[in-house]
Amino acid sequence: MKNPNLIVVFLVLAALVSLSPAYAQDKPALIVGAIYIGSVNDYGYNRSMKDGLEEMKANIPGLKLIEAENVPETAECERVMENMIQQGAKLIFPTSFGHMDFALNVARRHRDVFFYHPGGYKVEQNFGNFYGKTQTAWFPIGIAAGRMTKTNKIGFVVGQPIGYALGNVNAFQLGARSVNPKVQTIVVVTNSWSDKAKEAAAANALLDQGCDILTMHVDSPAVIIQAAESRGAMSIGFQSIESRRLAPKGWITGLGFTWGKFMTEVAKSVINGTFKPGFVRQGIDEGMMAVAPFGPSVPADVQKQVLDAVDKLAKGFNPFTGPIKDNEGIVRIKEGEVWGNDKMGNFDWYAEGIVGKAK
Amino acid sequence: MIATLLRGVLAGAILSGTLLLYATLGEVITERAGIVNLGLEGILLIGAAVAFAVASVTGSAYLGVLVAAVAGGIAALIFGYLVVSRKANQLASGLAMMFFGTGVSALVGKSYVGAVIEGLPKIRVPWLSSLPWVRGSTLFNWDILVYLAIPMAALAWWLLFRTRWGLGVRAVGENPIAAFASGRRPQLLQYQALFVGGLFGGVAGAHLSVSLTRTWNEGMTAGRGFIAIALVIFSKWHPLRAIAGALVFGGAEALQLQLQARGTQVSPFLLDMFPYLLTLAVLLAWGGARRSAAPAGLGRTFVGIE
Repeated sequence: MKNPNLIVVFLVLAALVSLSPAYAQDKPALIVGAIYIGSVNDYGYNRSMKDGLEEMKANIPGLKLIEAENVPETAECERVMENMIQQGAKLIFPTSFGHMDFALNVARRHRDVFFYHPGGYKVEQNFGNFYGKTQTAWFPIGIAAGRMTKTNKIGFVVGQPIGYALGNVNAFQLGARSVNPKVQTIVVVTNSWSDKAKEAAAANALLDQGCDILTMHVDSPAVIIQAAESRGAMSIGFQSIESRRLAPKGWITGLGFTWGKFMTEVAKSVINGTFKPGFVRQGIDEGMMAVAPFGPSVPADVQKQVLDAVDKLAKGFNPFTGPIKDNEGIVRIKEGEVWGNDKMGNFDWYAEGIVGKAK
Repeated sequence: MIATLLRGVLAGAILSGTLLLYATLGEVITERAGIVNLGLEGILLIGAAVAFAVASVTGSAYLGVLVAAVAGGIAALIFGYLVVSRKANQLASGLAMMFFGTGVSALVGKSYVGAVIEGLPKIRVPWLSSLPWVRGSTLFNWDILVYLAIPMAALAWWLLFRTRWGLGVRAVGENPIAAFASGRRPQLLQYQALFVGGLFGGVAGAHLSVSLTRTWNEGMTAGRGFIAIALVIFSKWHPLRAIAGALVFGGAEALQLQLQARGTQVSPFLLDMFPYLLTLAVLLAWGGARRSAAPAGLGRTFVGIE
């Protein structure tokens, strides 16, 4: 339940701002609107979006950014976007998955305003879709974990066990196993993208069972990384590469979204009148994802092995190339079969060596 | 292997149960004075936000806990003004209080989202924490609030059942008119009980933000205030029984996570229902005896004999 009060305050403030003599200023090159589901200071997903938008702003002189945080995935968000359009926004990033349908409603009412939505699947004339090639990018991260673990047990906290999240865990385990056949990835599901107390309890449960590395797929990695750090375990971040600041001792590496380059291209296309609505999926090599800087304890040869795997991905390697068995021994990807981008939401099984039950 | 599971569940039960115990104790004291505070969730949130903000600004988590306790007490007094002085409906005011707490905590916590704090320091018990079975777990390596939880339950029991003040509070909760006739001041006692209850609620919230998670996030209590209200019924309005209740419910959450971490072949969706199934089972088992245990004047407004 996101708090509606802030939205009301925001709308009142926004109304006041739009009444004030803002039009006396020079007309900006482009006004871009962005709505976030949470706070941009979460060291996680929202932070990555904020960093991307700031990079875009720095790249294009005269670009004006209007932002709203804590915008719920309800009809409320349509009003926030309508208000941004009244303020002159010509490009809008509705940055949470659940903003999709509401943003599409707004897009249909304003065909002259352009939208790019992350993670969804709907595309229309003024509504594009983009995301990182997340699943395959977890493979090199798994290599780092497989090399660094001493107990051969790695803990993975998953918010909601959707296909994409299971794909992340699978690629991670495939990477870890490629360098360490004994490694196990233990999954604990919290059934929420953001229940902080449960994340802390899940992290403690994994550490109690002997894991020496923790990683996660939840909105903000902060709680789990801090729990690992305080109990002397190592950690791997996800969403924003900035989360490394939370674990000065135990940090290994992390996988983050770096949206800035793509957002800059989109903003430029709106200015030049060449906007194209696409279904864009980019990986580490195209700059939409990044491997975070390594922690002080990671030896040079491990770092090299991880970066070599990143190169391999760039050259077209796909970790989901058969034969791949699940953790009950059933072959899920047959010899010669490859799971591409279109199948990343289809995982309803865990790969060999993962401790957990998918359904 | 069973020993590791037990150790994990015990460690988890104590960590998750501490917050529940403080919150339950606060609500027990409040309800003993005849007032149901459904706004407990809001008070927890205010405590969590204030503690985190103070810890972040001053660098002292202990100061954060103290200020959070006072903030919780003040929030409870605001609720008290509504239901004691203005004689508003307790359930409706309680829900309003919950939303008020959600909003205020969001406002207070806004600029501290993502701040990094030290958190309450862990204090290791010298000999016990190095026992072979205990080593490598969080047992006997807790923050001060965990060590104080059970003494606080004893203190609440002593206050309610061994002091004149407690006798007065309980009398008001059973029958405010009779208490008034015997020379007590029901409204003053209700305000006092609310304030003490609010202190406990504020501390509960503080434990969540400055110790368990060391983070602040809007609405982070995720319904634990309401679980504490259910725990009051579970413990039959008795502070010492609340200890068992908090451990059982903390343990239920810990158990399902520990079972997953051990690779038990049970669906995580099924395991996630466990704490709630337990709640239902408890209410079912305790249902019959409930009426006799509840303060007779609970939820009723004392109109006063001015």
